[in-house]
Amino acid sequence: MLHVDLARGRCLRGEIPEELLRAYLGGRGLGVRLMRDYFTLDPFDPDLPLIFAVGPLCGTASPTSARLAAVSRSPLTETIYDCSAGGRFAWRLKASGVDALLVTGRSPEPVLLALDGERAELLPARALWGKGIRETVASLEGRGSVAAIGPAGENGVLFANIMMGEGNSIGRGGLGAVMGAKLLKAIVVNGSGETRVADRERFEAARGDVMRLFRASPVIFGELGIAEYGTPALVDLMAQRRMAPTENFSATFFAASGNYSGPSIRRECGARKDGCYGCPIQCKKSSREGEPLPEYETVNHFGALNGISDLKAIVKANTLCNELGMDTISAAATLSAFGEARGRFPLAEELPALLADTAYRRAEGELLSLGSRRVAERLGRPELSMSVKSLELPAYDPRGAYGMALAYATSNRGGCHLRAYPISHEILRKPVPTDRFSFSGKARIIKIAEDVNAAVDSLVACKFAFFGATLEEYGELLSAATGVDYGPESLKAIGERIYLTERFYNCANCFGVADDTLPERFFREAGTAGEGIEVPPIERARFREELQKYYRIRGLTPEGTFADPSFLDGMP
Amino acid sequence: MRDQLEKYAAKLAADRSALPEAIAFAARDDLLITAGAPDLARLAGGTLSRLNSLALVAASPSLPFAELLVARAPAGDCCIVPQDTETRTFLHDIPFLRKDELSADPSAAIARLLANRKGVIVEGVGIVAVGAITVEQAYINYSSVFHSTFVKYLQDLLADGFLLPGEREAFEEFRSRWLKPISVEGLAFRAMLSEDKDEILAEIESVGRYTVERGLVDSFFGNISARSGDLLYISQTAASLDELKGCIDPVPGDNSSTTGITASSELLAHRKIFEQTGAKAILHGHPKFSVVMSMLCESGDCTIKDCWKDCPRVRHLGGTPVVAGEIGAGGLAKRVPPVIGATGSAIVYGHGVFTLGRQGFGEAFAAMVDVENFCRDEYFRRLDGMEQR
Ligand code: SF4
Ligand SMILES: [Zn+2]
Repeated sequence: MLHVDLARGRCLRGEIPEELLRAYLGGRGLGVRLMRDYFTLDPFDPDLPLIFAVGPLCGTASPTSARLAAVSRSPLTETIYDCSAGGRFAWRLKASGVDALLVTGRSPEPVLLALDGERAELLPARALWGKGIRETVASLEGRGSVAAIGPAGENGVLFANIMMGEGNSIGRGGLGAVMGAKLLKAIVVNGSGETRVADRERFEAARGDVMRLFRASPVIFGELGIAEYGTPALVDLMAQRRMAPTENFSATFFAASGNYSGPSIRRECGARKDGCYGCPIQCKKSSREGEPLPEYETVNHFGALNGISDLKAIVKANTLCNELGMDTISAAATLSAFGEARGRFPLAEELPALLADTAYRRAEGELLSLGSRRVAERLGRPELSMSVKSLELPAYDPRGAYGMALAYATSNRGGCHLRAYPISHEILRKPVPTDRFSFSGKARIIKIAEDVNAAVDSLVACKFAFFGATLEEYGELLSAATGVDYGPESLKAIGERIYLTERFYNCANCFGVADDTLPERFFREAGTAGEGIEVPPIERARFREELQKYYRIRGLTPEGTFADPSFLDGMP
Repeated sequence: MRDQLEKYAAKLAADRSALPEAIAFAARDDLLITAGAPDLARLAGGTLSRLNSLALVAASPSLPFAELLVARAPAGDCCIVPQDTETRTFLHDIPFLRKDELSADPSAAIARLLANRKGVIVEGVGIVAVGAITVEQAYINYSSVFHSTFVKYLQDLLADGFLLPGEREAFEEFRSRWLKPISVEGLAFRAMLSEDKDEILAEIESVGRYTVERGLVDSFFGNISARSGDLLYISQTAASLDELKGCIDPVPGDNSSTTGITASSELLAHRKIFEQTGAKAILHGHPKFSVVMSMLCESGDCTIKDCWKDCPRVRHLGGTPVVAGEIGAGGLAKRVPPVIGATGSAIVYGHGVFTLGRQGFGEAFAAMVDVENFCRDEYFRRLDGMEQR
């Protein structure tokens, strides 16, 4: 572990007890555990740590595992926050012998943290301050892999990202603003150590099993899957299922969505395969010119959610967000809420100026930089923020998938689709289909999936791998890599420990049943019907009943809190 | 959730993979519920409550093959490793517990094994399988274990003969009573499938049901498609062929839409078969004797180890070509299309059978029945021949 104290300008190496690694794996789990002494600190308190943690599979040939989790407390949601991101940065961090990088304090001057093998140093970065991501990354060329903030992070935009040099982002919850408040402009890492694999033969066999399942999964390597079209492969599907959030979730179908479907992006932008380092799936796409192309969430939110059908404008908005270091989902959803509140959605040609203003917090951007919940409140229309715990909802309308509805509410980091990822079974039929218009069994399913994904985020592996593989195969990879036996059940137990710890932190920060709900709109208004599909409002009583079931399954009180205030003392 | 338990118990009885009086399910919502044979239900509940999963089935298979595989396994072994595709891809191996390892309440020991695998064999009890997030999943995993142990036992028998007292008698019972002739008798097909969407969907739904009813496929495996001009209608991934209503994806030939992302993992194979043969309908199932026979290779001069994916040859079973290749993007889509046109059917090593119909599903279905009947006859011919020697 490397602890960097920016206030004192000190870099200290230390050991993470073996016991903690076993109990929390790495990544999200380890980061969350390391937050134990800090979780009530204000997100902009200089003492709040910003943690980058890799997992035990990082640096091995495990598919999709060159990833890390960034963990801290979110200024947007005020919950505990973690985000998984792929790329060389994670790999090189691990190769520097660092499983967890913990940054605390506020530097007196903008700085750059450089890790080169055993060496860690803080360098002045005044010259970089104010620069966009592209320029920042370019000026650090040759020093290793970069994680940096852009103007949005510097200026404290509540949904500012930390961007990786290769285009991956640590998104959604505004950890870029946490980094900015520390005056840490960028981190470069250049390790070259190797990760040991305890049992090569066993590892290779497990790897083969994973790859076989990837090939057997239509969602991954199918002709119409994400390896071919990226996540925009979902555009057509969500339109057909009538659950594509449109005009601030007032509708669930957007007639012009075909303009930015997977095939259209391929045709119009010459989409090429791209993706995270070391990942065989390569679900990300870039244009002929090498410009990263938007993902499903982004095309829907700059598209349908704002009533915009112009693909070029959407691609441009995506590029601009990346350059400014800002989350695309929250940026677009905030614009959409703002648009509905003032009676008109932004025009395609207005996007660039609005986004730049947001990142620099000038003019209307000052307000927009706060995210949709605060925007809607200040405009006197709180009901127009389509968020849960202040995190803007992504592009799966909860009226079209009831597991998703519940999972948005129970997510420890606010309205996020990836905590339990029920879209996998409710829509994509993996590993098996479930009835998307039924709450039956969903409380248990969501609980299990949250545990599974907490483990996945601690390995760290990509969620998309689980459209094919399961914890059975990844447990085998982990066992082979570490020499310690893990299986699906032991991994889920670790996931449960992580999940409850996060929940405990949130409860300590006053989150409870009142926060575990959806915006009113979903209980009152219907979505857009069509193709024989009705999208009625969600039945509130049934939703509440399922939420209470979920609490019972989790061992929580009806308020969603812990009966035992000393819960953490019993945790490793 | 109770209705789910009843539904899948009925399915296990109907597909004759479990003894109707010896089936139990457990499922957990906020409460644990169980249903079925009381002893097994207690065991199912006790085991599930130790797992972070939603459902579990414990049932006695209608055939003694799983038990026999355990009894035949060398002392010291703790799992069997069938070579068929369902095992290779999804189960990996099937652990077992022998009678003498069982305490009065074996649920802890069973849960320990299910902590790492989808299904286990418990000697004297039967097959116990878990469903991580649905009851259906427990049923599917049970079904897969039943399928894989069936295939492996038949294979082993052909290799090593009867080894245990009473084994021959048990097998005779299977052969003379359990096994039923397979035919197309009593099934109605549209002779000429039109281009009409509703007609195609209806036909796919009924043919899917026939495929399950006649035992040509287990649980959610197998897939089925029909072509209509530039559109291809294909069953969705993880869809049970006997419940295809609402689970058929139309996929345009020019990939102008990606709604077919939920289509069967064999979409590519189906497409290529249509392209290369001009067929109208395609059926893919996992009939058991065909799977068994496809793995019986007599070319002694071969150095390839991973036959199921690497075998480059086209072998034959009664005139039907046998090729290798993994599921999905893994190779079967390359090897099946070029060989299926000549006879209208092809067998995939350790996996199953593809058949086609030039005008409708009647031809495809009859072809699959023929292939399976040939393989069944051939299997018994060899077994009997071996016995005589
Ligand atoms: S599937 Fe996509 S997001 Fe996941 S690791 Fe691969 S390229 Fe990255
Ligand atoms: Zn198959």
